[in-house]
Amino acid sequence: MFGLMTGQKIDRIPVSPFAMGYAAKVCGFSIGDFYANAKVNFRSQLMAADMHGYDSSPMYGYASIGAWEFGGKIGFPYEVGHGAPYVIEHPVETPEDVDRLEIPDPTRAGSNPISMEVAKQCNALGLPAVFQVGGFITFAGNIMEPARMLLWMIRKPELVHKVISKVLAFQKLTADWYIDTFGPEKCMVFSGGATESNKLISAKQFETFTLPNEIAINKYVLDKGIHSVLMHPCADQNANIPHYRKIREECGWRGRYVWNFGPETPLEKQIEMFGAHDIIGGNVDPPSFQTKSFDEVIMLCKDNIERGMKNPSGYILMPGCELPPLTPPINVHAMMTAARKFGSFE
Amino acid sequence: MNEEILNGLADAVIAGDVEKAEKCAKDSISADMDAYTSIMEGCAKGMNVVSKKYECGETYVPEILCSAEAMNAAMDILKPHLKADATAVPKKIVLGVTKGDVHEIGKNLVKLMLEAAGFKVIDLGKDVPTEKFVAAVKEENADICALSALMTTSMIFMPDVIREVKRVKPSIVTMVGGGPLSAATAETYGADGYAKDASVAVKVAKDLVRSV
Repeated sequence: MFGLMTGQKIDRIPVSPFAMGYAAKVCGFSIGDFYANAKVNFRSQLMAADMHGYDSSPMYGYASIGAWEFGGKIGFPYEVGHGAPYVIEHPVETPEDVDRLEIPDPTRAGSNPISMEVAKQCNALGLPAVFQVGGFITFAGNIMEPARMLLWMIRKPELVHKVISKVLAFQKLTADWYIDTFGPEKCMVFSGGATESNKLISAKQFETFTLPNEIAINKYVLDKGIHSVLMHPCADQNANIPHYRKIREECGWRGRYVWNFGPETPLEKQIEMFGAHDIIGGNVDPPSFQTKSFDEVIMLCKDNIERGMKNPSGYILMPGCELPPLTPPINVHAMMTAARKFGSFE
Repeated sequence: MNEEILNGLADAVIAGDVEKAEKCAKDSISADMDAYTSIMEGCAKGMNVVSKKYECGETYVPEILCSAEAMNAAMDILKPHLKADATAVPKKIVLGVTKGDVHEIGKNLVKLMLEAAGFKVIDLGKDVPTEKFVAAVKEENADICALSALMTTSMIFMPDVIREVKRVKPSIVTMVGGGPLSAATAETYGADGYAKDASVAVKVAKDLVRSV
């Protein structure tokens, strides 16, 4: 994957299964420890990649980001049925809480120290130090409770804007911390979230509440010298795509971007919007890895590879979101088999 | 006059206008209108429009939540005036998010749409273990058991719930929905119905009840 992102010649398409909870399980760790313990997080991702031979490097992140960092509480996924950290207590419950909300110290806030520890271990092996920014609606929703935030978007929009502006300030501080620690050339940004989905909000609401902030944080990290960005507009964000393109245009198409949309977004649409400059990572239907057979997964990957390889700026075989933690290992092997068989450049 | 009030209620729900919804509800009481008619021909009619707009991508969850506020405000005024014999016995639906899953926006939208359509919803909330679904179905003598999940790790409990609720009440019908589900997975799990999102849940529930 590093080869593709740095423009080197590669022998087959890279494979990045976005394996988080799966990596823990397949290596015999609990998903709870995967998110609570940096060593387990790093080691299991490295071991799973080595076992299967896929190309992604370890990174820390989860969809409930924001609540803990801003003073709320999360639970780690130790129970059967849990797949990722979840919010127990949102730091904003009343309008007055918004004014009281302080911008946290990034070196101590919530999961940031765990994420930094994983990044340090990656850096020691010459792998990118990944940190999470963007996804402002998701981040703010975790702070305010998603339904409350969605309601306030109409009833009290000024409060949603206020929380998001604090999130932007926090994300800039987090970016500074990583850049100061590793240098920008060693860092990689992960950006994404599901609450931006058009199953929840309109493209207009995306434009109003998050687009200016997305442009701001992308410009910020690029101006600081960061080159690699993995964008994960989660779930159905088809109506938001022109806004994502606007982010790239406003940033002058600088940097090496990978787009990993949900399976609802056709690869052809992504190629049309970003293909002249950016890599497409996509976007096999994630639940299929858990529910379908080896042969079926091979065929899904084959179809994705044949369409994705038409992208002039490169393609990575990925699920459209995190690999289901309960995926049978043989179906990750199916990804690898499909990549070798149908995604070879030799 | 009555039609004006009913249309006003529906419009208030569609617009998410709490003040107008309350005013129309009070006007309907003052005009001695039947409360059940006001709910069904006013509030529910408005919510039905909202549901259709959501299905077509013309409205989104923030607007639906405002509509829900308006509808609930009107219902609070109208409900005490319901006559005991004015309503048919509503179909009961036990609804919940399966174990391990705390995502309930989708489930809450389904609840809203079902209630607006006249179903009685027993909402078990989120992170609900199989035994709790079984106990609620038995205790409430429910007609439908509806399961929601947003995670692949929690949807795996659906077959257990479906099997167990059918064991205690063989005539119950089951329906499932949520992000990682598909019609094929629903069938594999033994569900009688599948709703891809909240906008179609009412239709699926009505079809299922009709087919029993």
